[in-house]
Amino acid sequence: MLRKADTSATWAAIISLVLFFIGGILTTVVPPLVDTTWAKPFENADPAKGPTGKLTPLNELQLQGRQIYIREGCWYCHTQQTRTLLADTKRSGWKGVDSPVSTPDEFVYDDPHLFGTKRTGPDLSRVGGKYDEQWHRTHFRNPRDLVPGSIMPPYPWLVEDAAEFKAIVAYMQTLGRAKDWRPDNDYEE
Amino acid sequence: MQEQISRAEIAGGAAPSGALVHEDTTAKWFLVSSVAYFFIVGIVAVVIAAKFVWPELMSTIPAMGYGRLRPLHVNGMLFGWLLAADMALTYYLIPRLCGVRLWSETLGKATAILWNAIILGAVVSLLMGWNQGLEYAELPLPLDVAVVVAWIMYGFNLFMTISQRRYPAMYVSIWYVMGTILWTAFVYLTGNFAVLFTTGVNQANLNWMYVHNAVGLIFTPVGLALAYYFIPKASNTPLYSHKLSMIGFWSLAFVYVWTGAHHMLHGPISQWLQTIAIAFSVMLLIPVWAAVYNFFATMKGQWHQLRDNVPLKFLMSGVVFYLLTCFQGPMHSLRAVNAIVSKTDWIPGHAHMAVLGAFSFFAIAGAYYMVPRVWGKQLYSDSLANWSYWMWMIGGIGFFVTLWLGGFWQGWQWNNPAIPFIDTVVALEPVWLVRFFSGILMFAGILFFSYNILATVLGEKPKPTAA
Repeated sequence: MLRKADTSATWAAIISLVLFFIGGILTTVVPPLVDTTWAKPFENADPAKGPTGKLTPLNELQLQGRQIYIREGCWYCHTQQTRTLLADTKRSGWKGVDSPVSTPDEFVYDDPHLFGTKRTGPDLSRVGGKYDEQWHRTHFRNPRDLVPGSIMPPYPWLVEDAAEFKAIVAYMQTLGRAKDWRPDNDYEE
Repeated sequence: MQEQISRAEIAGGAAPSGALVHEDTTAKWFLVSSVAYFFIVGIVAVVIAAKFVWPELMSTIPAMGYGRLRPLHVNGMLFGWLLAADMALTYYLIPRLCGVRLWSETLGKATAILWNAIILGAVVSLLMGWNQGLEYAELPLPLDVAVVVAWIMYGFNLFMTISQRRYPAMYVSIWYVMGTILWTAFVYLTGNFAVLFTTGVNQANLNWMYVHNAVGLIFTPVGLALAYYFIPKASNTPLYSHKLSMIGFWSLAFVYVWTGAHHMLHGPISQWLQTIAIAFSVMLLIPVWAAVYNFFATMKGQWHQLRDNVPLKFLMSGVVFYLLTCFQGPMHSLRAVNAIVSKTDWIPGHAHMAVLGAFSFFAIAGAYYMVPRVWGKQLYSDSLANWSYWMWMIGGIGFFVTLWLGGFWQGWQWNNPAIPFIDTVVALEPVWLVRFFSGILMFAGILFFSYNILATVLGEKPKPTAA
């Protein structure tokens, strides 16, 4: 059969598409049908089953902040996934409490997803609630004032526009908060 | 080197009257614009490499921020330079392999104009921050639609040319070009349209299917089409094995598309899907080795030509980089290795070796080969071409190797939670400095290449006469 493709462009085209579609369909269309946790928002009231909590969609202000996060390309340098690696759970943790790993049900409302591929700066999947507004204001103005050695660029225009600043901080405070894995309002002193 | 090729060219050029004359306007337009974008986006590349060392650089201008320039660099290099150059070269080689003229130069020229409009639109929208937030699919929806239209125009033109071919048996490059056209259509639709109807992990899965196959089923097959055409042409040696090229093609068609989820190893995506992606990533060694073995075997007894044949230097170095990058890929997919290198600076080292070291080298070789022929002039300077090779080679290896070493080291540090994150950033400062200087060398390669092409096109150095 493959021999026919030697002299027939139609055959070559058909076979190459058939082979492509086998893997294409099995790895894109089928997985969400098999694994239903991809589409079911996180909700757990039973502490015996792990961290409790409920995933809620972002409000308008937080969504606005998310758009700014996308516009400025924050996601090129900050991932949003605590992987199933011990070091990731420690690094995403806070004050000695290890973070739970990220699960698909925590990202059901994410559009676009912001998992990221490159970790030039730290992962932000559990950053919500760790730093207060004043910290973010100083940090956006010049990251090196708070973190000597940082190579994050300054974003002065985010601080100067009060509405944008409010929105992006509101968004960041939501990150990783669906799972109730540590007390609220625990900002760094 | 040009002496030799020119003589061969004269032999071909002095064909009897009534022989097929190719117009090549479409190929010319695409090539010139791709080289121009290579140069412009090369400047952007150097700027973002500099931002790793001097983060305050131009940091008060929103449009010059890292987060806006990085997608411009990626999209500009992938679609403005590499894909446009690949299209130029396929507009050149498909009519020749089919023994007919391009089906429609008018359609081709319209495609070139539309493509340039898309790239200019992309520059504006990315600098403005109109970003869809999906990697490789950053462009806003209207531009995505325009890309689909341009791709249909391109594909239709080449398929019509192929359907009118004079030689029934199709050389492997024709298959790869057909594969590229068809697979790209579906890969692009998945990555830019299907994602709009999904969210979260489901969307990420489609996104990675696209990102992976943008390289695996767009740049790989069209790059191999070029290599299969230009290696035998530039070395004046027949391809070692047609059958082996078939094995490579069909295994590529089947295996590549399964591997998208390896971008999320250890991440929030089903473990069984990760395992499938790993298994198929390892199987990628089959199509890769089939192609690489074929190229090496073709060169048997011909390696001495590398001494002064610049296109062949680019081609065979590209083959070696292709082998290396495709050996790395399956290795990264193993969970234990992935736990170290994933998300580190190793990854840009790997990605640049694929896109610059392998596929851009094939396209550059093709450009050096094609430009003197379609413009009917001698290459402006062989020595400058040789210099461009060495600038890219030294800069490229400096870039790849420092990022691998740095990235691996970074990964080890991340896996030790006792090391604060900021210390792992400070540790990489020397790596980023070397990367910046390697980038300068690579930019010198772009500069020499684009100047050479420009001077050939505009210059008045005619083909030496046969006498």
